Amino acid sequence: MYILAIESSCDETSVSIVKDGVEEISTVILSQMDTHANYGGVVPEIASRMHVENITIVIDEALKKANMKMEDIDAFAVTYGPGLIGSLLVGLMAAKTLAFIYNKPLIPVHHIAGHIYANNLVKRLEFPLIALVVSGGHTELIYMKEDYSFEKLGGTLDDAVGEAYDKVARVIGVPYPGGPLVDKLAHTGVDTYDLPLPLNDDSYNFSFSGLKSAVINLAHNERQRGKDIIAANMACSFQNRVVEILVKKTMKALKFYNVDNLIVAGGVAANKGLRQALTEACKKASVNLIIPEMKYCTDNAAMIGAAAYYAYKRGDIAGPYLNAKAVTLLK
Amino acid sequence: MKYLFIDSATTNLVVAIINEGKVAYIYNNDGGLDTSSKMMPILDEAFKASKLKPQDINKIFVVTGPGSFTGIRIGLTVAKTMAYSLNIPIIPISSLEVMASGNGGTALINARRGYVFAGTYDAELNVIYPDSYILMSDNLKKPYISYDKFDFAVEKPIVDVLKVIRKHENNKSVNPHLLKPNYLKLTEAEEKFNHDRES
Repeated sequence: MYILAIESSCDETSVSIVKDGVEEISTVILSQMDTHANYGGVVPEIASRMHVENITIVIDEALKKANMKMEDIDAFAVTYGPGLIGSLLVGLMAAKTLAFIYNKPLIPVHHIAGHIYANNLVKRLEFPLIALVVSGGHTELIYMKEDYSFEKLGGTLDDAVGEAYDKVARVIGVPYPGGPLVDKLAHTGVDTYDLPLPLNDDSYNFSFSGLKSAVINLAHNERQRGKDIIAANMACSFQNRVVEILVKKTMKALKFYNVDNLIVAGGVAANKGLRQALTEACKKASVNLIIPEMKYCTDNAAMIGAAAYYAYKRGDIAGPYLNAKAVTLLK
Repeated sequence: MKYLFIDSATTNLVVAIINEGKVAYIYNNDGGLDTSSKMMPILDEAFKASKLKPQDINKIFVVTGPGSFTGIRIGLTVAKTMAYSLNIPIIPISSLEVMASGNGGTALINARRGYVFAGTYDAELNVIYPDSYILMSDNLKKPYISYDKFDFAVEKPIVDVLKVIRKHENNKSVNPHLLKPNYLKLTEAEEKFNHDRES
């Protein structure tokens, strides 16, 4: 079954053709990152404008790259949420139109399900598993006992982890997109700043706004005293706290649910500090750790096409009324 | 010839199918939100009612603005996707011209803070004052035509899809990949960015 998938939930217009949920035939990603860098973050209206300008070009390139015609496609899939509503709507309307004119099924895919299933393109998922989804918009721990069954164990109560990285980057003078650069900087610094371990409790929830505020306050106080903060050390201290709490709660979930497969997904899965710490912890606990290749960490339509196959098998077929949702629970 | 017409730039959604010079189907309703949910069911109904398939369409006329940014994108994405995948010529249309298509006049869309999107057309849809994003002014020719509420009198638009299509039937079609919305206005972020760069 060939699925043409569209992902436009944030600042990447992406289209992929995926076969049977496991084989990536072609992927095209048009990133708007350079444009949004001018504004220090993603501007929703600009993102929507760029999606509508590029959507058909990206669809066409994905077909050409696959050496396929629209008639060869068996179903269309699209990210319906969560994400920026204006951005989502462009991909959604394009997918609905294609499903309508070719009279093929339309498969709605939750963005987080996509991130988890990115791993399926590398190696077939093994169940049960725990998924740690970490990105600019999400921080969630999910338990899956079988394909396309999602039980959310916990999530962030405020900022997503990637969001906290971007904000801390701004405070310590690292340009947008801050996450990867803070990670890089952290490896050159020493953990000298006294920052709190955020939401260090028995739940599977996370909270990063307190930690972010602690960084802001510390930097402010130092500057008030005429001293400047050492960016590399602040990056290192911040990253250590973030990684420690993520690893701690993830390992706890694996133990409690007696699961030995861990999947990490989302843009922050590219974080070297997190990858290193999880690799060590999983080795110690004999947990099978699966972290996707870098290209699957960021938003892409291949992951949507992979998830869509299992969504379809579960019976997820949308009618023409399907709408985009900025906030939506993974079920 | 068989034509599809889509205008989702204002609160008044118009979807029409024209078959050999006659209106085979028209949806023309004001006050609707949630265009993204309604669009495909209306299109489905349009094709069923006119006993045609998307593949039968010879030309697509789509409103590219000005108006609601999200609204414009919904109709335009549908039209572009259809034009590109079925290789159908596509022709951009002004929302203000559609609003003025009854008897002519100045079509207005409230753009807030005293600003309007305005365009003046005569009864034959010739442009008298080109579509603009401007501060509302008395210099604009009456009658004023709008779906929006203002603190002055406006007439409800009378939409004459056939008139608009006849006017633009022989326009050169546009490459759907290159067809963009006609917002007539930068985003606030861009305005601020340009302002900061200049000063």
